[in-house]
Amino acid sequence: MLDILAIAAWGILFLKYWLTGKLALLIHPNYFGLVVVTGSVLLVMAAIQGIQLVRSRRQRASKKRAIPIDPAEMQHITLFPPGWASALLLITAIVGLIITPQVFASQTAIDRGITESAISTRYQPKSFRSTIPPEARSLIDWVRTLNANPEPDAYTGQKARIQGFVIHAPELSGRYLLLSRFVLTCCAADAYPVGLPVKLDRDRQAYKPDTWLEVEGRMITETLNGKRQLTVEATALKPIPEPKNPYDY
Amino acid sequence: MDRQLNNAFTIFLSLLVEAIPFLLLGVLLSGLLLIFVDERRLTSMMPRHPILGALVGSCFGFLFPVCECGNVPVARRLLIQGVPIPVAVGFLLAAPTINPIVIWSTWVAFKQQPEIVWLRVIFSLLIATIIGCVFSVQKDPRPILQKLVAKSIPDRAEKNLESDSQPMLLQSGTFLLGEGNSPIPMDESLLSSAVKKTRGQKLRLLLDNTIQELRELGAVLVLGSAVAALIQVAAPRDLILSLGQDPVSSIVAMLVLGGVISICSTVDSFFALSFASVFTSGSLLAFLVFGPMVDIKGIGLMLSVFRPKAIIYLFALAALLTLLLTLIFNLHFS
Repeated sequence: MLDILAIAAWGILFLKYWLTGKLALLIHPNYFGLVVVTGSVLLVMAAIQGIQLVRSRRQRASKKRAIPIDPAEMQHITLFPPGWASALLLITAIVGLIITPQVFASQTAIDRGITESAISTRYQPKSFRSTIPPEARSLIDWVRTLNANPEPDAYTGQKARIQGFVIHAPELSGRYLLLSRFVLTCCAADAYPVGLPVKLDRDRQAYKPDTWLEVEGRMITETLNGKRQLTVEATALKPIPEPKNPYDY
Repeated sequence: MDRQLNNAFTIFLSLLVEAIPFLLLGVLLSGLLLIFVDERRLTSMMPRHPILGALVGSCFGFLFPVCECGNVPVARRLLIQGVPIPVAVGFLLAAPTINPIVIWSTWVAFKQQPEIVWLRVIFSLLIATIIGCVFSVQKDPRPILQKLVAKSIPDRAEKNLESDSQPMLLQSGTFLLGEGNSPIPMDESLLSSAVKKTRGQKLRLLLDNTIQELRELGAVLVLGSAVAALIQVAAPRDLILSLGQDPVSSIVAMLVLGGVISICSTVDSFFALSFASVFTSGSLLAFLVFGPMVDIKGIGLMLSVFRPKAIIYLFALAALLTLLLTLIFNLHFS
């Protein structure tokens, strides 16, 4: 009985995440289909098992015996006391249904270490297109371009228009903020932040951490913390609502 | 604090949402094979040569896609049916890794580092084959097995030898002409297998089996994901970095983690993935290779097959070989 509830709850949870669009906060869109199918299969399994449970109870009531299944044939192992495993699964699913997963914020990005170009070891660009005009490049496109050619001077003067959320990086002075996004390859567990420094004409306190901005400007090279870095010299900053899918891929 | 809890919860859920589809697939497939395939016919075709046997046993995972929780019972059945030790040991160690679902899920998780995917397969094969060969030195398997298993071997093993030397037509007994042209001896092996069940019963058995395994393995997965999420959020980053960036300590840490965390091999790559940014690739490999071979919850199960001494050898050899191979990888190739 507990099994059926637990499996049904997970099926509902999967489909709920899909229907409410929260799946994008958790995993890469490539695997949405997998989750939807799994959710449906789980629900069907729970339904069949539920029908059978009702039927066998009725049969027992009418003194007809169901065909017993030899437990030795299952050959499965039990690690938990009876009922615990299903209870654990059920509770997890219910908590999942109640609490909405949150998007990672700027503090998490600082904790995880923001990469401007170091992601080259992890990311081997497959769909790299250098033909995108500079002003059409997204933040991620810029970071990828920078991976292919790390010399910041190569981009001096190019126009930029990028979107991301604000990070007040402690190692940068008050005139700079880091515009950042999380990149996902599989699921939230491996989300890692990438970002570009933005040079402001005022103190960064005007832009609170975690607000989403669209920054327009021009590319320059700045020496930050003793390192030459590609920087956006902002000419216009516009607050934008948090995108429905905050990650990039 | 609040934010960290929330992050941990998000990571926890994302691991589960990504992993459960693969878990379901693995459980369904292994259930299908448990119920619909007659492994006794397969065991009669096993090679006796130690290296070949260990290799074939390792690749058995493609036929029985079980993760480490399902492979001990299968290995036990294989042994009881008189399969040579290298085949059984090879199967025991490599089958949880060398199977299509595990390879797929590893690829999903480590698409950015494809070398992890194929090195996981190669290292597992290599280690399983080597250990299988080591165990083949023991010609008579009975002393290293538990009494119950050992006792059921002798007459079967002799029977196997007998049927090797004698053409089928000269053997006595009842035979069935099944699919293919070779007659199947009508003995207990047939009676006890899946033949006598109706399709409806089989499907019910499959559903029951799937739900039971999903419950057990799912609960382990929940605990494992919780640990992974908590480590990622709560462990001091300096500690993790100093541990994870060193070529030797990172591997040792991951070996320990692989032994302790009993997460199913179909989904352990997602667990490893959450360490990918801070731990060396070699150490991730160590986790992915060693984890499925050995874990704490499996020991009780292993004890139902082998005597303790054999298990200690098995684990120690597996740990050392994994350390060696992944250290070579860490020092020379990354």
